[in-house]
Amino acid sequence: MFIEYSEEQSMLRDSADRYLRDNYSFESRQAAIKEVRGFSADHWQTFADLGWLAMTFPEEYGGFGGGALETMILCEQFGKYLVREPYLESVVLVGGLIEAGADRALKEKYLSGLIAGELQGALAYLEEGSVADPTRVQATAEHSNNGFAISGKKTVVLNGPEADFFVVSARVGGKKESARDGISLFVIRKDAPGLSCNNYITYDGRSACELQLHKVAVDKESLVGDLGNAAAIAGPVFSHGIVAVCAEALGAMDALLAATIDYTKQRKQFGQSISAFQVLRHRMVDMYMEIELTRSLLMATAWKLDNAAPDADQCVAALKAKMGKAGRYVSHNAMQLHGGIGTTDEFSVGHYFKRLAAIGVMFGSRDSHLSRYSKLSV
Amino acid sequence: MDDSVFRNEVQAFLTESLTPEMKQAGELMTSVFADFDVAMDWHKVLYHKGWIAPDWPQEYGGTGWTLNQRYIFQEECKLANAPAVFALGLQMLGPMLIHYGTQEQKDFYLPRILSGEDSWCQGYSEPGAGSDLASLITAAVRDGNDYIINGSKIWTSYAQHSNKIFCLVRTSKEGRPQAGISFILVDMDSTGLSVEPIVGLDGTVEQCQVFFDDVRVPAVNLVGVENQGWDVAKYLLEFERGGHNYAIDHKKQMAKINRQANSQYSSGNTLWKDNKVFAAKFADVAVDALALEFTELRVKGAFEAGGNAGALSSLTKVMGTEIGQRFNELSLEMMGEHAFVQQLDALLPGCEVEPIGPSCGLTTMAEYINNRAATIYGGSAEIQRDIIAKRVLHL
Repeated sequence: MFIEYSEEQSMLRDSADRYLRDNYSFESRQAAIKEVRGFSADHWQTFADLGWLAMTFPEEYGGFGGGALETMILCEQFGKYLVREPYLESVVLVGGLIEAGADRALKEKYLSGLIAGELQGALAYLEEGSVADPTRVQATAEHSNNGFAISGKKTVVLNGPEADFFVVSARVGGKKESARDGISLFVIRKDAPGLSCNNYITYDGRSACELQLHKVAVDKESLVGDLGNAAAIAGPVFSHGIVAVCAEALGAMDALLAATIDYTKQRKQFGQSISAFQVLRHRMVDMYMEIELTRSLLMATAWKLDNAAPDADQCVAALKAKMGKAGRYVSHNAMQLHGGIGTTDEFSVGHYFKRLAAIGVMFGSRDSHLSRYSKLSV
Repeated sequence: MDDSVFRNEVQAFLTESLTPEMKQAGELMTSVFADFDVAMDWHKVLYHKGWIAPDWPQEYGGTGWTLNQRYIFQEECKLANAPAVFALGLQMLGPMLIHYGTQEQKDFYLPRILSGEDSWCQGYSEPGAGSDLASLITAAVRDGNDYIINGSKIWTSYAQHSNKIFCLVRTSKEGRPQAGISFILVDMDSTGLSVEPIVGLDGTVEQCQVFFDDVRVPAVNLVGVENQGWDVAKYLLEFERGGHNYAIDHKKQMAKINRQANSQYSSGNTLWKDNKVFAAKFADVAVDALALEFTELRVKGAFEAGGNAGALSSLTKVMGTEIGQRFNELSLEMMGEHAFVQQLDALLPGCEVEPIGPSCGLTTMAEYINNRAATIYGGSAEIQRDIIAKRVLHL
């Protein structure tokens, strides 16, 4: 350590930055999220054509063999430009799980579609009553003729309305609610009999659904990972998910600080730019310092994941905890320093704020990761 | 009357008078405003009972209650989920007219405020004049028996529901900026006046921008003396800052958090209420809320003794809003991803839409989002701290 980008990684960052700067205006994003689909199919196809959707998959399935660093590089740009397209949901989470746990036939069936931008996936793992706890699973998978019958209810299935298929967690055998053991993951197509969706939009401009499953039949080959051992593959994929959302958050925080600096220089009250007031200058300096600390932790964590460092898990917990604090501090102060204008739908600042609010609780809040960090480090 | 007897009387009245729809409107509030129409229904119930303006002197329609009784009334209304009455006429303009208005103005406007016939919005901030309110430029120029107003006001809450607006306008460019400001009353249906709604981050419209294009207003609509509107405004701002009891808002927030903590799990089978980290964080905010409650009682005591809240109203505004925001953060942490759903039709009172996800989380994200504005409006937290620095600490 420490991390220097390879030539390929620098190119990836620069090309993502350039493409999004030239083609992904806030206005076009806002127009797209008001459409039924909620994002631009054209952008998604371009992401595929540019190879972004393939970046982290193995070469034998048409990918480029990248890891957490590549995820981080892309997602940071996505955050900076407030990209709404479901890269996290479809590629990082669903693609990541299939790559980690599906058998060869299933991989061939789904990964090429995800990489080509032709298929959309959604992860259905949350249930009512509990937050960000992938082990609280009451949905069941009963053995039946040739496979399983899945029943239960899943909530906050992000990208569910757009998904062609789901990866669903269900408990095989015993009904214990919170044990890590006994949970399995299954690929289920959206048109499977017995499956129904209640679609909705979220405050941060994305889409989600509740998923009802009533004895949905799946064959044995739809199992992702070993039976009853979803945790073995879900853990590492969630770590990548945390890197992805924290990178997105970092890009969003950079954008918020830049916007706040700009605005406070332009905005004049009491005969001067409000950036001249010391109390506001110091607030922006503190925003900057929070961002830089988070950036260091993010880069180190991505590197450690890619290099299977022994303290990688600890760093993941530290990163999510730190991001929770930084995201709140930076977004709250960006809002405060913009005053009324920041509270409007018309202006981008509030949309970054809402995205950071969502990321703050995804995959566990700051507190849950602080607890995890202290357990791992003592 | 003994306070507990009074409290019983208020409770009995609320039980009898609040319809399910009104309570739903109170429950579903995601900002300081309730659904306008339902809040207006409640306004009328209070008007017929004679309880619509407890803060006004009795001869103008007040209740004659002690400060304690007024506090009890506010508290019971809030905890019974009564929808917030849209209060700019009652809390701001009314007291101001009683202080500065002519007999004709009082006779005409005050009864209409009480009955709800007029709904008033407030035209203070302008695109270029927020924290530095005295730099406002919307101008009223005298023309015979009228003023002609040109300019624009922004962050005008519920202007789309109001039929009248009270404004600060510039009537002179001489001297200090504060010296050329006047206070004037304008009909919203005046020719040349238009309202542009501003969509908020939660997807609803509470704020507006109001445009004045050669709007002609009779000169008798001026309140107080021309060019001395700043004194009027300062008087009003103290009402805005000091008249609110944040402790009551906090109690409603804590009741909500309690419901969430008793029904939602932090992990596995651990309810949030049994999560030690959460319990400690909640207690931390609750202790600050308790300290603020006693501070508000001190302020009330000072009022009762004939004193003035002075800069203590800045203290309660800063701390009250910041504590409220911390409760919003706790609530969001507890609901987690379940707070993501944006279901605006389920937030309308009287709707029959089934809420998606746990009903105790339906308003969580909107409250978190909307309440960021609490440290911005009515004098930002920074401006309030400046006031305390100058007027209390003499820095």
